[in-house]
Amino acid sequence: MWFGPNLQRSYKYMMFASKMPSLRIDQSDLKCKNGCDYFGNPQWQGYCSKCHREQMQRQRKAEKASSATLPKPEQKKQEKGLKLTSHSSFSKFEEKRLRQSETLKKANLLKFSVFKKSNTEDHDHSSEKRPPEFKIPALVNEGMKSEFRARFPQLPAQVDRDARVFVHSFIMDVIKCANVMTVDELSERVQRQYQRFMKHMDTSSHFANVDSDTKELLMDFVEKHAMTYLHELPSVVFSPSGTDDERLDRAMSERIQQLSWVGERHLECKLDRSNAECRTLLYKAISELLGMDSAPGPGGKLARVRRACRHVLRLCSAAPASADDLLPALIFTVLKANPPRLVSNINFVTRFCNAQRLMTGEGGYYFTNLCCAVSFIENLTAESLNMDKKEFDCYMAMPASIGGSSWAAALSLCGAAREAGEQRGAARRLLQHAADLQAAAQQLASNALSFEEQIAKKVQDVLAKTPLEIKPRRELPRLGKLQEISTAPLIDLGTSTDREEPQPQPVPTSQPQPAHTVPVEPKELNVTLDPPEDEPKLNILGFEVIDRQSPSKSPQNLDQTWDLKRTNSLELLTPSPLGFTPFDSRSIDELMTPDDFGNDQLPPGLSNINYDIDLSDFSGDNSIAEDAPKSEPKDPFSPDALKKTQTFDPFAPQTSRGYDAAIDSFDEFSFVDQKHKETDPFEVVHRGQDPFSPVEWNVDLGKDQFRSQSPAKQSTSILDDNDSPTTGCLLPSPLQPQSSGRPN
Amino acid sequence: MTSGPYNYSYIFKYIIIGDMGVGKSCLLHQFTDKKFMADCPHTIGVEFGTRIIEVAGQKIKLQIWDTAGQERFRAVTRSYYRGAAGALMVYDITRRSTYNHLSSWLTDTRNLTNPSTVIFLIGNKSDLDGQRDVTYEEAKQFADENGLMFVEASAKTGQNVEEAFLETAKKIYQSIQDGRLDLNAAESGVQHKPASPGRPLPAPPAARDNCAC
Repeated sequence: MWFGPNLQRSYKYMMFASKMPSLRIDQSDLKCKNGCDYFGNPQWQGYCSKCHREQMQRQRKAEKASSATLPKPEQKKQEKGLKLTSHSSFSKFEEKRLRQSETLKKANLLKFSVFKKSNTEDHDHSSEKRPPEFKIPALVNEGMKSEFRARFPQLPAQVDRDARVFVHSFIMDVIKCANVMTVDELSERVQRQYQRFMKHMDTSSHFANVDSDTKELLMDFVEKHAMTYLHELPSVVFSPSGTDDERLDRAMSERIQQLSWVGERHLECKLDRSNAECRTLLYKAISELLGMDSAPGPGGKLARVRRACRHVLRLCSAAPASADDLLPALIFTVLKANPPRLVSNINFVTRFCNAQRLMTGEGGYYFTNLCCAVSFIENLTAESLNMDKKEFDCYMAMPASIGGSSWAAALSLCGAAREAGEQRGAARRLLQHAADLQAAAQQLASNALSFEEQIAKKVQDVLAKTPLEIKPRRELPRLGKLQEISTAPLIDLGTSTDREEPQPQPVPTSQPQPAHTVPVEPKELNVTLDPPEDEPKLNILGFEVIDRQSPSKSPQNLDQTWDLKRTNSLELLTPSPLGFTPFDSRSIDELMTPDDFGNDQLPPGLSNINYDIDLSDFSGDNSIAEDAPKSEPKDPFSPDALKKTQTFDPFAPQTSRGYDAAIDSFDEFSFVDQKHKETDPFEVVHRGQDPFSPVEWNVDLGKDQFRSQSPAKQSTSILDDNDSPTTGCLLPSPLQPQSSGRPN
Repeated sequence: MTSGPYNYSYIFKYIIIGDMGVGKSCLLHQFTDKKFMADCPHTIGVEFGTRIIEVAGQKIKLQIWDTAGQERFRAVTRSYYRGAAGALMVYDITRRSTYNHLSSWLTDTRNLTNPSTVIFLIGNKSDLDGQRDVTYEEAKQFADENGLMFVEASAKTGQNVEEAFLETAKKIYQSIQDGRLDLNAAESGVQHKPASPGRPLPAPPAARDNCAC
């Protein structure tokens, strides 16, 4: 990689020492070659700036005189002569070649400028022919205005105007010169512009009250706005045409890629890569370096470099930070970052940043370090890494992809990996949740299944046990009585029960009401036949409903014990089927009893006293009896409920046990029924097992033993209770069916 | 304008050069923070130190650039020198090798800085007198031969550190007064803040206009 001499202000030339052959230089050697008393400068071919400028102007005039397409032979000659002192003949030749190519390039660019470039090249023509054509967009002005107000509110408007005028003229000047000057000349011109503005600030009365710090800020402000605009223009100040910057960018990028195997071990910088904080710092530094390319203006780029270097500094915090540590770490960082257009950026800053600031200040310091790092990378050899030459060559021969960007990749990956880890954790938790949910759902399903089976089984059992007893029963005698009663009084009874329906329909008696009244025997017969089918499923409800009704019938029972038994058993059946007339009719019969029945029409076999008590009870019972069929579907033990159990189950998984218990208890009931039914119809009522039923409370209050005793015994005790009219009132509570299972 | 503590008339740029491990950073730290770094927690940005001092009634801001001393970086660290008004050349009195390298450091400094740059030789670690490897006389002779100012100092105790920096500043200021240092040259390493009253600037405005090199 070689550098053309036209890059005189490139970062390489910041260290111009290599050109100086002798140890000591006489004062005279530093003077201008023209013999004027000022100091000369190697960058100006040994002239002082004034003489150099004159020289250049002479050259340019001559150049213009000659044809534009030809390279400038006079200039070549002169420059050759000037540089004889410090360059070998070969380098002169090289220099000449490059010079020529550069000029040719420029000429070509000029030719195509009309098509290719808008502002700059355009203006190149206009600068000679139609000067007023080029205009700086108003955006620049506006941007300056607003930012000036924001940053320097205390400064007079005059200063603002001066700054804007300067920026305007500055930009115009640069654009005008961009295509007739080499980069170095342009750079000089820009630097002179900066100095001009500094001088203006020192001398102008507008700036009399501005202190030096603010002036520096103003300088930066001006530089920023001018350069930000110029930076956007292609090939004017940033990697300008006629320079090798772009090629060098590529070369540098390839070089860094090739050197990707270089690690902190080779550079002897102590980085604790395992440390997360360290990695973070390195990553920050790298991103700052990468951001340098996008920052407009030299100031912004410098700021990026400064921030990057600060991160790097903290990287090598193991030892007290010194330049001994900073530079290797910075080299390492640059190697890992491989910033885009690195050379162009560095050259841009070197050429067009305010030289004063580049030389002093923190930004300048770090930028110098960066230049050192880049130049180290460029000239990196086996010795500079303290390694064997063969090994070095071996590494360098290795395809870049091998040693490759693995580190940078790993670096960026580590951040991504951490994020991924967090996300994975979250995902795992979610999965766990889902699994739990699924398990619970399955549990629910199985519970539901087993529950269903259990229920089915219980029901089967119950069915197997219960149905037999019902068939034999016939209430014929009682029905007969009921019929007689139903004919007239039923209507009134309906009213008495607060039921609206019974009133209008009393006369038809048998059919709508008949359901209630059930006067006709044949129907009843049907009913009695039917129940067996329904019985099994209805048993549960039947029991409870019966419980209510049974007390109501107690008066009748008093009359005829045998009948009572029958009625009870029948009533067990009644609640289940919705449309069964006989049972309903019966209940209606009972309904009739409460008010009218009691006094006016006493059916023959009934005792007055009994009726009085029963009637009151019946009124309540009747209403319940009517309601009962409606409530059936809710009851899990009813036939309807059985069908629905599947849908019903999932929501009540916990209750399954309760139901089991309920079923068990129910069995007991059933047993009780079976056993005692013949003995006493009231046994069915046994709610001794239901702690919440009012009956049981009474029982408990009356006799504590019942609880502990077996249901069979309870039944007897309950029977005792039933004897008393008050208990009969308590029995019919509608809540029983649901609550019955819970206590167990 | 100059009444505030942070106002100053000049900015001088120093560089500190010398082999690795001679204590460049410690000297800098001792001077800017008056601390020895081994004693205090690491602070960010130590290698770029600034401090405002006063010379002949003028407030001067010193900007001190620490440099990497490794041999392999020698070729690339030359840009540090650009525009340095003062160069502090440091060696370790307990390590003779650091003293032997002084001549090459001096060569670089002479070549890379302008003639008016003040070079100050510092023998560091004078607190470790028992392990001395380079005698004071020998170093003094070297300094005299090359026209350098010389002092033995200790970054640990702070002995002579202040003096080294201040003497350098005085010398630079002197050369400004004498007109040997062109303030307007970017490479002079000196920035003048003209806002200060009573500017003792010898540089005539005409010269500035004619030769903005």
